[in-house]
Amino acid sequence: MILKIAFRNIFRQKRRTILTALAMIVGFMLLSVTIGLSDGAYGNIIAMFTRNRIGHIQVHREGYLDKPSLYKTINNASTVGETILSVAGVEAWTPRVYGAGLGSVGEKSTAVQIIGIDVARETEATRFDKKVVEGSTLGEIPAHEAVIGKDLAKILSARISSEIVIVSQGADGSIANDLYKIVGIAESGDDLTDRVACYLHIEDAQELLVLEGRVHEIVVIVSNINRVDKITNVIETQLNDSTLDVAPWQVVAKSFYRAMRTDQQGDAIARWVIMLIVAIGVLNTVLMSVLERTREYGVLKAVGTKPVQIFWLVICEVVIIALGSICVGALLGALGNYLLSIYGITYPEEISFGGMKLKTLYAEVNVRCLVIPAMTVMLSAAVVSLFPAIKAARIMPAKAMRTH
Amino acid sequence: MEQTQKTDVIVTEGVTKVYAADGIPVNALNGIDLTIQSGEFTALVGPSGSGKTTFLNIISGLDSPTDGKVWLAGKVLSEMSGNELSDFRRDNIGFIFQAYNLIPVLTVEENVEYIMLLAGVPKAERHERVITMLESVGLTGVADRVPTQLSGGQQQRVAIARAMVSEPQIILADEPTANLDSKTGADLLEMMRHLNAETGMTFIFSTHDPMVMESARRLITLRDGHIDTDEAR
Repeated sequence: MILKIAFRNIFRQKRRTILTALAMIVGFMLLSVTIGLSDGAYGNIIAMFTRNRIGHIQVHREGYLDKPSLYKTINNASTVGETILSVAGVEAWTPRVYGAGLGSVGEKSTAVQIIGIDVARETEATRFDKKVVEGSTLGEIPAHEAVIGKDLAKILSARISSEIVIVSQGADGSIANDLYKIVGIAESGDDLTDRVACYLHIEDAQELLVLEGRVHEIVVIVSNINRVDKITNVIETQLNDSTLDVAPWQVVAKSFYRAMRTDQQGDAIARWVIMLIVAIGVLNTVLMSVLERTREYGVLKAVGTKPVQIFWLVICEVVIIALGSICVGALLGALGNYLLSIYGITYPEEISFGGMKLKTLYAEVNVRCLVIPAMTVMLSAAVVSLFPAIKAARIMPAKAMRTH
Repeated sequence: MEQTQKTDVIVTEGVTKVYAADGIPVNALNGIDLTIQSGEFTALVGPSGSGKTTFLNIISGLDSPTDGKVWLAGKVLSEMSGNELSDFRRDNIGFIFQAYNLIPVLTVEENVEYIMLLAGVPKAERHERVITMLESVGLTGVADRVPTQLSGGQQQRVAIARAMVSEPQIILADEPTANLDSKTGADLLEMMRHLNAETGMTFIFSTHDPMVMESARRLITLRDGHIDTDEAR
């Protein structure tokens, strides 16, 4: 009967029910879209950062990540790469060679980072060809060609077909220098990389740096980024080489990861604020409802309804409205996130996060953006209705029935 | 009517009630000592503000006295917890209010059934007793209506049916005819007298209505929060 009265009260006071439900639905949607956009933004940033640049997992000679050195190399890159590729969940791998040098075009010179890449593998793993915004990508066979970063091209006033002289130090201690024809200009989405990157065919880079087939880094791409930690462990076990470090992207890009986590904590504070607004909205409408019906509670109590039953009557009403609001909010929240995942929100100007440039913010439709708001609405509704429920349960019938 | 032995169903001793009106204490009841026996048909009369409703509220546990004690069916009300008091009211007291005070979201049948439901009476028995009670108060064919679809007289009949359906020892009626026309009021009063005679239930009214006063077999006049006269008829 208490449930029946609760149900009927909900439909009797339509205006109040709609107000309460609206507070919950709007709160749900706000929270859902905030989470969707936040997850979408971080998802995009991580995807861009990993998929386009550092990969999901990296393998180096022991200690390379902490202190990179020309001499800390992986000798048998092909064997290591093939072993990695045999691990379930690994999609692609690509070797890289790094070196520091001085790049000169005509009379202009600047510091450059030599990045030797296996063009075919790099294209498969990190879509290198898509980064080339002018000219063409590197050929699959070494031909003393170079693709340089967009900002580096500006610094050196270089154009397609310009020649760049790179001076560096070889692994044998010799002075390394060679001439390369610029065939393309690349934009990675990372300011620093675009200011210094000079991509060479991996064999050209190995020849310049006298590395004789050795590489500094193997980048691994996995099919599901959420399984990175597990796959890292499996690769480590499969390689069974204590001289190699296998690290997931969170370790490779520690400072980026830390900055992202800090930013996410800021988002969590915003979520708490929204949760608080939802809770206050619900409290307000529930309190109004209890005050409006003080007389009715007095009558119920007078005819023998126990205080605990009146307590549950108030809680039931709020929980029923909350359940309905969660259903509607989930539909609208999912729809909002879905639309934002397609059309996104475009910033008037590009924003930069950890060196990554973002122009449009896309949302993500996931379980979190439905479960967290649902729990928030239900919990805040239950918690804030406790006070009015206790108030209703403790009402003195004679006094309550004097109210109009 | 079956002859039963009279017992003291309500005993009050020095019942006092002080309200604070705008911070100023107002004595609504000044040490009322009263005994009401089972089967009485008693009217509390007196001018507005004399303390009739306050007294009814206190002897039913709807309000608590500032001082003094109330025994109801042998139990001291002030010694009961909230839940015990609710159960006690449910099982022993039926209320009839001036403003009917039906539960607006429940139908006539559900309103009458509600107290039995709280008491855990089986569904079939509940239904049978509701139908019988509605017939006895002259309300047939309206069981599925909600209170707003009834006239004032019909609503008060539902309230009477609700008060009596669980066969309580005591019926407390606060100005039960005040909102009714004289014919409806007379009909309902006649019905309550009949039920009193038939079942031996104790009826206590607070009233201004001369018709109710005439029907009462005991007339207690309150004035300024104390008993002015107590006249048996």
